[in-house]
Amino acid sequence: MEEFFQQMVNGIILGSIYSLIAVGLSQIFGVVHIIQWAHGEVYMIGAFMSFYLVTKAGVPYFIALILVMIFMGFFGAVLEKIVFRPLRKLGMMSTVLGAIGLSIFLLNFAQILFSPEPQRFHVPFLDKPLQFGMINLTVNRLVILLIGFTLIILLSWFVRKNIIGTAMLAVEQDMVAASLMGINVNYISMIAFMIGSAYAGAAGCLIGPLFLVYPNMSIIAVTKAFPVVILGGLGNIEGAIAGGFIIGIAESLTAAYISSAYKEIVAFVILMLVLYFKPEGLFGRKIMEKV
Amino acid sequence: MKKALIEGESNKKNKIIIGIIFISILYLIPILIKNQYTIHLLVISGIYIILASSLNLITGYMGAFSVGHAAFYGIGAYTSALLAIRLGWSFWVTIWFAMLFAAFFGILLGIPSLRLKTSYFVITSIAFGSIIYLLMVNLVGLTRGPLGLVGIPAPTPIKIGIIIMKFNTKVEYYYLVLTFILIILFLFGRLLNSRTGRAIISLREDNIAAEVMGIDVRFYKILTFVIGSMMAGLAGALYAHYVRFISPESFNITASITILIMMIVGGIGTFYGPVIGALGITFLLEKLRFLSSYRLMIYGLILFIVIFFMNKGIVGFIQQIFKQRRKA
Repeated sequence: MEEFFQQMVNGIILGSIYSLIAVGLSQIFGVVHIIQWAHGEVYMIGAFMSFYLVTKAGVPYFIALILVMIFMGFFGAVLEKIVFRPLRKLGMMSTVLGAIGLSIFLLNFAQILFSPEPQRFHVPFLDKPLQFGMINLTVNRLVILLIGFTLIILLSWFVRKNIIGTAMLAVEQDMVAASLMGINVNYISMIAFMIGSAYAGAAGCLIGPLFLVYPNMSIIAVTKAFPVVILGGLGNIEGAIAGGFIIGIAESLTAAYISSAYKEIVAFVILMLVLYFKPEGLFGRKIMEKV
Repeated sequence: MKKALIEGESNKKNKIIIGIIFISILYLIPILIKNQYTIHLLVISGIYIILASSLNLITGYMGAFSVGHAAFYGIGAYTSALLAIRLGWSFWVTIWFAMLFAAFFGILLGIPSLRLKTSYFVITSIAFGSIIYLLMVNLVGLTRGPLGLVGIPAPTPIKIGIIIMKFNTKVEYYYLVLTFILIILFLFGRLLNSRTGRAIISLREDNIAAEVMGIDVRFYKILTFVIGSMMAGLAGALYAHYVRFISPESFNITASITILIMMIVGGIGTFYGPVIGALGITFLLEKLRFLSSYRLMIYGLILFIVIFFMNKGIVGFIQQIFKQRRKA
């Protein structure tokens, strides 16, 4: 029983990591329907940026987090403006391939700039162990859970209460109709990219100290984030959290009770099953049109 | 009327003659080019031609955008290699099983394509590719995991009368792959010009309209996946018995993306596009070797530029120029 609780907690932490990466992607994929394959690279660049800020420049960890979010938000806006806006007009296949090209470019650029070797992102106060009853944690995991949730709740509040958030929902449902209603789709698309990339950067900063920091971390992140987004339903923030938890818990339970070798497969199997039986996602709005 | 018919027939004759000359040149290449490494690259791009063409059937002609095609390639390679190593079966038998197994998994991926919108299907195909890759890594008892399979035998020699054909050297394998490509492309062309081919293309344009016209959408979608994955399985078997060593790394998502890039850069939905794309990308990556660590970065950049300025790929671009000339 003790082990089961520990595994559940591990799963929840892992789930919050996945939701944090996925929630940004969910904004981009959900609102403008772009398969942002380079989202993993944005996350990786965020992790490296915070790594250099904290360990090399000596910036306090939480200030680095804010700086990274601002910078990555700006980076996302630039990506949207010079890369994805022209691509969007060329159609779906060109957009996906353009995103893949961007991802190859950024990944290899990062390998030259930062070296492909994994580096340890050491932040002293994050490594302290904590104990709650029979459950073991580190400060780092607690920080991920708390800050990750605060960020996600902030985003959820923004989308609900703000007029821009409402416009984002409108664009998500029908781009053409939204533009007819006087919504500037390009502007909304840029906002979605800003938010998405800022959150990816934050995820990189929060998760970096937990694992190692290296360029190829992007591929793992993006292949996990897409199942989470689909599982939760596109553009659905609460869905992304639930999707992250389901996959996180399923993975840690599989690792503990079946075999750690099959841990990685679980996310994809769940995704395939959901798409077979409920293609709009577990928490997606019922869409009348053919999905 | 009669004149037009005769002209059409002589046109067809001309085409056949040009085709025969071209094919004989292809068979003469190993005599003209002595460099073994170039022959090796030609064999590898030949395998990619089969892969890119098969993906073209699924994605270009039917419109199901798959980013998991390397899975079928890997299934073919592993099936053929395992049967050859463990059971000692001949290549000429295992290749059929490679195709059969790949086709079976093709049905599995084909089923969700029946109901999913493009962007969802992209993710499904990625998930499918990842599952197959992770199984190759983790089913250590069967596949030896990341260590890979070694000692895959070369295809068994064929005896025709007194002539014995062996497939041990690069040049011999070049002839084998070339023959396979020609047969496959011939059948592929026949398929596309048949009733079935037109039905498949109609699915890309409009599912509902196709259904109204009396096309069994379910049947043709699954059929396309079966044919496409069989071709990829065949390519996998050819690859396994050529390099004689396979590991899961050759069949991961990067491989899927490479195949996709070849198809799109060459020209999606065109017959010769994947052929040109496969040759072009294989040789381009070789030519960029002098850039060492900057190589893949520049490759990403080139890819990006191609997408921007040649949206329909190289073949599409050429066709466009011809059309404009005809108009002028």
